[in-house]
Amino acid sequence: MKKPLIGIYILVTLALMAWGYYQAIYVAPNDAMQGEIFRIIYYHVPSFAVAFAFFAVSLAGSIGFLAFRRNFPDRAQIADALALAGAEIGVVFCTVGLTTGPLWGRRAWGIWWTWDARLTTTLVLWLIYMSYLLLRRFAGGPQMQTLAAVLGIFGALDVPIVYMANRWWRTQHPAPVFGGAEGSGMDPTMVGALMWNMLAWFAWGALILALRYRVERQHQKIAAAEAQRALEA
Amino acid sequence: MKKLAMILLSAASIALFGRVAYLILLAPSSDAALLDHEFRQAAYTITWAIQLGYLAWLCMKWQSQKRDGALHDSGKSLTR
Repeated sequence: MKKPLIGIYILVTLALMAWGYYQAIYVAPNDAMQGEIFRIIYYHVPSFAVAFAFFAVSLAGSIGFLAFRRNFPDRAQIADALALAGAEIGVVFCTVGLTTGPLWGRRAWGIWWTWDARLTTTLVLWLIYMSYLLLRRFAGGPQMQTLAAVLGIFGALDVPIVYMANRWWRTQHPAPVFGGAEGSGMDPTMVGALMWNMLAWFAWGALILALRYRVERQHQKIAAAEAQRALEA
Repeated sequence: MKKLAMILLSAASIALFGRVAYLILLAPSSDAALLDHEFRQAAYTITWAIQLGYLAWLCMKWQSQKRDGALHDSGKSLTR
């Protein structure tokens, strides 16, 4: 029962990705000012939306770990696996956003990068979560998960700053398209393409998040069994 | 079969990164519209290169963990 459902989910996700691509390339019109380069938005914006959502998952997992670690060790391990999976997938999507952005910027602004508030806070966000992953990879000992949880919570604090950066400060990065000032927004045909791609990338992200979570749970079980054996020896 | 899938994923990711490098470094056109097209293609391609690369790495990790789990189980049965 479980395997066919996973298969169907994968097929639906792949169909959504293909449909999203079709919408972005063949249905949405060229932007009047920027031409074809504007179509990068259909991959750039969903990447950051998914990254932020998975950083929120990581935040929930980190808080859960800190809340459960003393009284409910099993639940704490589940929360920790979720925190790690969320952070890692978030970093992958953030990396996509940070590479597609400069490609767009090079054509739209004539520069690959500028140290404006939106771009800088995004880079800081990526660096914080990279340090989270490096801590998880190279640190050991019983305090590692606690330290990582604290860093995960600290990192998530940067997400609203990134989101608000081009509202609070004057930036090279364009003003917000959605939820921005009066007159902001997109043509309905463009909105459709953006939403399809958003849905497709969320579906893809959830798929790899589930896989990453499963791998981490397996790792935890092996580590726990090894620790038990070491105690018995 | 799984190993082949992982090799294909890794190869696809590397090939896509190569395509991005080609589009940005080797084939930039002097025509603005064509250049936009190449950069748009590069952005879409690098997205897939990163996603498939990560998926390949994750599958490798999963397989190595399965191997570790199996080794661990066999070690356990030996000690009994």
